[in-house]
Amino acid sequence: MSENKMKGIQLDKLENEGVETLISEDRRQFLRFGLIVTGVFLGGSILSLTAAPKAQGASRSGKVVPAVGQFPYKPHYTMVIRQGNCINCELCLDACRSTNSVPAYGYRTLILERRISNTEGDRERAFMPILCNQCNQPSCVRVCPTGATYKDTTNGIVLMNNNKCIGCKTCMAACPYNARYYKEENRAIDKCNFCFDTKLKESGGKTTACCAACPASARIFGDLTNPDTEAYKLIHTPGNVFWVLKPESGTLPNIFYMDA
Amino acid sequence: MKKGKAMTFYTKTGTSTLPPMNQILIFVALTLICVIGLAFGLHTMLVGHHHTLATTREVPWGLLITPYVFFACLSTGLCMIASLGQVFGIDTFKPLVTRTVFLSLIAMAAGLLCIALEIETPWRVGFYALFSPQPFSNIWWKATIYSLFTFATICNFLLLMIGRKKIARVFATIAIVLVTVGNLNMNSDMELLGARGFWSEGYMPLYFLSLSALIGCAAILLFNWISYTFNKQSPLDQGDMALQATGRLFMVLLLGICYFTVVKIMGGFIPKFTNNPEAMALLVQGDFARNFWIGEVALTVLVPLALIAFTKGKNVRVLALAGTSCLIGAFILFYDLVIVGQLVPHYQHYDIVDIPQYYSYSPSLHEIMISIGIIFFFLAAFMFGEMLFKKIYAHDQ
Repeated sequence: MSENKMKGIQLDKLENEGVETLISEDRRQFLRFGLIVTGVFLGGSILSLTAAPKAQGASRSGKVVPAVGQFPYKPHYTMVIRQGNCINCELCLDACRSTNSVPAYGYRTLILERRISNTEGDRERAFMPILCNQCNQPSCVRVCPTGATYKDTTNGIVLMNNNKCIGCKTCMAACPYNARYYKEENRAIDKCNFCFDTKLKESGGKTTACCAACPASARIFGDLTNPDTEAYKLIHTPGNVFWVLKPESGTLPNIFYMDA
Repeated sequence: MKKGKAMTFYTKTGTSTLPPMNQILIFVALTLICVIGLAFGLHTMLVGHHHTLATTREVPWGLLITPYVFFACLSTGLCMIASLGQVFGIDTFKPLVTRTVFLSLIAMAAGLLCIALEIETPWRVGFYALFSPQPFSNIWWKATIYSLFTFATICNFLLLMIGRKKIARVFATIAIVLVTVGNLNMNSDMELLGARGFWSEGYMPLYFLSLSALIGCAAILLFNWISYTFNKQSPLDQGDMALQATGRLFMVLLLGICYFTVVKIMGGFIPKFTNNPEAMALLVQGDFARNFWIGEVALTVLVPLALIAFTKGKNVRVLALAGTSCLIGAFILFYDLVIVGQLVPHYQHYDIVDIPQYYSYSPSLHEIMISIGIIFFFLAAFMFGEMLFKKIYAHDQ
């Protein structure tokens, strides 16, 4: 291929025709069209503002667990799940059902069975309890049109105001953890709220129904701002390895998992 | 208003005549089917979705989202095409304006009716959307924008009816801005659902807008042809030219959608081309492959392209056929768009025992009947418009 062809049209050497040759009506139409297009895209961008500005990420440094003194809430409730301790006895599920009137067709918490590889290359079973992760940047709160689901400004629990729920189920579609279901009796979405109106209230903020029922201390409830709680100690002990589910969702969960 | 000039609220269009009996009968038949469909919706509302719909905890959005998205996008597309003649002043499209504005209005009404039947407690929407708004929610914005759009379009249509074209144009401008923002917002709404990455592909905003314009063109080609057939007219020269221009625009948009379809196909076969390889594989090679290849590829793109290419876009009847094919295909496309992304299990990468490779969903009888009811609502409203506003439509030409 010749050098000239490779160069193609050299725009910098072309003469600028200017806009004087355009008919004024055409120019006006073009400008109007440009303004509308710009306005439309600006409008679309403005509507895509980030939600829940008060629900700051757990850490401004981007780490999963915040440094002491940087917690968005006080008390900042959390649950540590020691996966290796769970024996799938399901007492936690029963306690949750009876304490929070969970119907047979739904659940607030569940135990999933995993088949994972150990260090020797063998496959072994592990039980993984799941529940609402009370995220610091909850996608469910972000999408709810009426504020029926919201972050409690004091303790950060994701709560429901049943009266405001319109049943659009967008929060169900948005939750990366499958933590929500529609409760016919309430005509509203139901989800784990750390037993906010039941066991947590009864215990003075010390525990939840599932944690109280667990015989193997697989579920540890606590306050991330209180160094005396076991959850705090587990998370802040050097050498302890823990993780959160689906960190790629960017929701900054408050349920932490560790082996034992 | 100039001094001495009286305001005219209506234009006398001549002696009133009853519409032909066959049109009345068709309207009654369409309305009857619509009522039967909506009765299923009422039943669902009374007994609860849990008993009648096939949606589940894992797949909370079912078939009923499809007519909503379809008609909202259709309304957007129709509004865009109407604005070419009414807002941007392109003479070729002017003969289509009034009918297109009416179609846009009834399409949005059908969409809003469908979403009202889809949500569990629609009676709470008005009150809490007004008194407990959540401005960070795209759903709230979508509901607000589409309500404002409906209002602006009603005003636009009424003003067109009484011949106040200048003021109508103001409302048309407001409507086109609103509906385009609403369309982008609908995309954002789906994209922001963190659990469902299927909707967050980079090309989605442009895809949504192009699809809306495409089905808008398709509907104009189809419903104008139906109108000419019912009235036993052949389109006047100007009307014919407008339809042919719409046909050309339709073909350009088809080529655009063709590009997006190729991107989808690549994503379905080569994971690195998509953010959601599991969902795209399900769509292109899995259980939804028939929907994809027949609905999205053949009916939406290839058949209309072939029909237009063979007739060089000059035969109004063939253009209508191409439009019909595209509308049916686009409905299937929107169904896939809503459902497929939800079928990828939440904990698929966690080696969970007994978790299915994909969740399953099949629409229930109630969902099918409600969707039929919504489609026939649109058709009955179109027929109603043909009987009532025939002379107003004729003024455009």
